[in-house]
Amino acid sequence: MTSEQVLADVRAILIEIMGAEYALSLDIGMETAFEADLELESIEFVKLSTMLAEHYDDRIDFVGFLADKNLNEIIDMTVGDVVTYIARCLDGTHAVTVDA
Amino acid sequence: MPEVVANGVRLHVQRLSPQHRLLTRAQPVVFIHGLGMDNMSSYYYTLANPVAQAGAEVVLYDLRGHGLSERPRTGYRVADSVADLAALLDALGIDGPVHLVGNSYGGIVALSFAADCPHRVASLVLIEAHFTVAGWAEQVAAERDRIETAVAGARRSGWLDQLGRKVTRLLAMADELINHTTFLADLKAVQPLPASQLRQLTCPVRAVYGEHSDVIDYARELDACLPHCVLTVLAGCGHSVLMDATAALRDIVLDWLTTQTTAAVR
Repeated sequence: MTSEQVLADVRAILIEIMGAEYALSLDIGMETAFEADLELESIEFVKLSTMLAEHYDDRIDFVGFLADKNLNEIIDMTVGDVVTYIARCLDGTHAVTVDA
Repeated sequence: MPEVVANGVRLHVQRLSPQHRLLTRAQPVVFIHGLGMDNMSSYYYTLANPVAQAGAEVVLYDLRGHGLSERPRTGYRVADSVADLAALLDALGIDGPVHLVGNSYGGIVALSFAADCPHRVASLVLIEAHFTVAGWAEQVAAERDRIETAVAGARRSGWLDQLGRKVTRLLAMADELINHTTFLADLKAVQPLPASQLRQLTCPVRAVYGEHSDVIDYARELDACLPHCVLTVLAGCGHSVLMDATAALRDIVLDWLTTQTTAAVR
C-alpha cells in the first residue's frame, strides 16, 4: 500500500471523527499538524489511533509507536508522521516486533 | 469505538495489550483521570503506552460525563465513580487485583475503591491525589466559581468567539457537565473519607506530588495516615505533575510496577 493510499485512509477517518463540514474545509495533507492545523482534541487523537488500529488490524503497533515519544512530540505530530509510520509497517520495513 | 456498559452507563474504554515481556506477570494497570476537562487522553499521551509497552495490560477509561463516555444527568458522587469502576472491571472480566493509578480526583476514586474493595487492589499509585477531607466542598465551590467567572468574562469580552475549535469544544463540554448535570452538587455532597478508614488500607501505596502544588497538604496528610506509603515530592512542579514531569513520573511508575510484580510472583 502506498503512502497516498494510507493518506486517503487517514483523511477519511479524520473526516469521520471531526465531522465532514469542518474536516472538508481543511486541506489535509502530509504536512498538516494534528494540533496546530486541525485542532484535533486529544481524546479525538485517541479515537483516531483506535480506528487506525481497527482498520489495519495488527499490522501496526500504535502502542510501540507512541511509547517512545514524549508529550510534545506527540502534540507536534503531523498527518505525514502517522502515514509514514503506517506505510513502513505495511511494507514490512518497520516490522511490528514482539520481544521473545 | 470500544465501549462498555457498566453500572448502567456507556463508558469509553481502551485496553492496551502487552508487547514486551518485562511486566507480563504484572496484574492489570487501570488508570483513573481527573475531573472537569480531563479524560483518558492525559494518560494515553504520557504513561499508558510506556506501561503497556513494558508488558502490563493497561485499561484506560473515561469517567462518566467525561471524554467520549456517556454524560448522564446524575451519578457524580465518589460512590458512583467507585461503583462504575467495580462494574467496569466486572464487565471486562477482571476479577483479580489490579494496580490503580489515580491522578487528582482519580486518586480519590482509587483510595475509595481500595477502602471498599481491598481484595481487588494490588497497589495504588496516587498522582497529585485529592482525597475527601474537611473543606472539600468549599474547594469544589471555589473551583466552580473560578471557572464560571473566567467563562463569563471571556463571553462578555467576545474573546470566546475568537477561540479555536478545540477550546470551544472543551468549554462546551465543561458547560454541559457543570450546568446540565448534578456534577457539582454531587461533588459538594461528598463526605470525607475518614482518616480511620484510610489508616486501614494495607495495600502498597506510591504517591507523587509537586513541590508547588495547591494540594501539597494532602501529601502530608496521606503520609501521616499511611506510614507505608512511599512518597515523592517532585521539585519545581505544581499540580500538573502528569504533564510537567512526565519522564520522571513514567520512571517512578515503571519502577513501582516492576517492584510490585517481582514481589508478587516470589
